[in-house]
Amino acid sequence: MNAIELSHINKSFGDFAIRDLNLTVPSGTICGLVGENGAGKSTTIRLLMGALQPDSGTAAVLGTDVSSPEFREVKEDVGVVLDEAYFPESLNAMQVGKIMAATYRRWDQKLYDGYLKRFDLPEKKQFKDFSRGMRMKLAITVALSHQPKLLVLDEATAGLDPIVRDEVLDIFNEFTREEDHSILISSHILSDLEKLCDYIAFIHKGDLLFCEEKDRLLEQYGIFEDSRENLDCLQPEAIVAREETRYGGVRALIKRDLAPAGFQLEKPSVEDIVLFLVKGAKNR
Amino acid sequence: MKALILKDTYVIWKQMRYFLVMILLFSALPSGFNNAFAVIYTSMLPYTALAYDERSKWDQLAAMMPYSARDIVLGKYVFGWLCIGAAAVLSGLLQAALSLVIDRAFLPGVMALSVLGALCILALSLPLMFRLGVERGRLGMFLIIFLICGGAGAVASIVENMNNGTVFASLGPVLVIMLLAAVLLNAVSVPLSMRFYAKRQG
Repeated sequence: MNAIELSHINKSFGDFAIRDLNLTVPSGTICGLVGENGAGKSTTIRLLMGALQPDSGTAAVLGTDVSSPEFREVKEDVGVVLDEAYFPESLNAMQVGKIMAATYRRWDQKLYDGYLKRFDLPEKKQFKDFSRGMRMKLAITVALSHQPKLLVLDEATAGLDPIVRDEVLDIFNEFTREEDHSILISSHILSDLEKLCDYIAFIHKGDLLFCEEKDRLLEQYGIFEDSRENLDCLQPEAIVAREETRYGGVRALIKRDLAPAGFQLEKPSVEDIVLFLVKGAKNR
Repeated sequence: MKALILKDTYVIWKQMRYFLVMILLFSALPSGFNNAFAVIYTSMLPYTALAYDERSKWDQLAAMMPYSARDIVLGKYVFGWLCIGAAAVLSGLLQAALSLVIDRAFLPGVMALSVLGALCILALSLPLMFRLGVERGRLGMFLIIFLICGGAGAVASIVENMNNGTVFASLGPVLVIMLLAAVLLNAVSVPLSMRFYAKRQG
C-alpha cells in the first residue's frame, strides 16, 4: 500500500498554481519534499491532508480518499508538524497534552511526558514564552505521541540547533523501523534530507519535476569541475546546469548516461542536484 | 468537540477570572438591567476564544487533526452556551442569596430573559465572526448587543408605561417569544456558521 498518493492534482490561486501533481510515497519509506520558498510544498501538504480542496485530481492517504468522510478517522494515524507550531499562546505543554488526549483516541500520555523530558520542555511555561526551537519540539512531541503510522513534516526541523536536529532525525529514523510507518518531510536543510530520505521529490513553481529514489538520483547525475573547454566536449543535453567557479573554471551537473564512458565526474550531494536543477529551470 | 471546548477553556482561563468578578459585581448591583448584563456579558467569551485562535492560526493546525468543521464550529456554540449557563447559575445563586440577606427581590424571570437574550446575541454574532473574522466581526457584534439591549430596554419601558409602572406583569409572553427566537436563531445560526467557516477555509 502507498502511504500517500496524489494523482493529477491541480489547484490554482490566481498568481500561483499546482499543476498536474503526481506524487506517491510507498508505505515504509521516507520521502523528502524539496523546493524553494513558495514552490508549493506547504500547499501540497494542505492538499494531501484535505485542508484544501483541489480543483481537480485525487489525493489518498493510507489508502483513503482525503475527500471522503472516512478520512477523519485516518487522521488519527497521521502526525503533522507544520512550519509553525500554531498552538494558542496562553497554553502550556501540560494543557496541550490534555487537549490532545481528548483529541486522539490512541494518545499515549507516558510517551508524551517522555518526549517532554527528552526535549527538556517545561510543562507549565506558557507557549508564548517558548523559543522557536522549543515550539517546534513541542509540535514534534505532539505528532509522535498519538501512535501515528504516517508523519507529515513541513519544515519541522527549522529553528532547531544542530544537536537537537540530529536527535530529532534519529527519532524520525526510529519511527520508520516499523515497516508500515512512513514520513513525508519538507525541508530546506537538504543535508538532513540526504541523511534521512529514501525518496526525494522536487517541486518547482508548482510543478513536481521529479520524485526519485535518492540512491538512483545520486547515481543518475555527476558533478563536473574543470575547464570550460573540457565541459564543451559534452553534448549539450548532458549538461543540466553550469556555474562559473572563482578560479576561472566551470562546475556543472551532468547526466551520467549522456556522458562518454570514463568521463571524470564526482559524486553529487542532493543539495548539488537540487541547486543545479533550480538554476537549470531558471535558465530555460 | 470535548477537546476543542477544553482548549477554549484553557485559552481564556485568565480572562474567565475577570469575567467571574464582573458577573458577581453586576449580579450584586440592585438593578435588573445590570443583573441581566452579568449574563449577557458572557456571550462574548466565544469571540475571545476565536480571537486567540486567529492570532495563533490554530485553524491551520486544527485542519490537520481529526476534528470536523462541524466540531470546530459547533464547539464554539457549545462553549458559549456553557458559559452563559454557568454565568446564569452563578448570578442566580448570588442574587438569591442576597435576597435572603437584604431586602431585595430575586426575579428569576429577568434571569431567564437575560439567558435568552445572551443566546440570541450569540446566535446572531457568531456567523459574523466566522464570515468576517473576529477583527471585522467585532463591530457587528457590538451593534447586535446594542440593538438587543437597547431594544429590550425600550420594550421594557413601553410595557412599564402600559402596565402602570410594572414591567413584569407581561413577562410571560415576552419569555415565550424570546425562547422561540433563541431556539430559531440558534437553529439557523449553526449551519450558517458552518457554511461561512467552510468558505473561509477554502
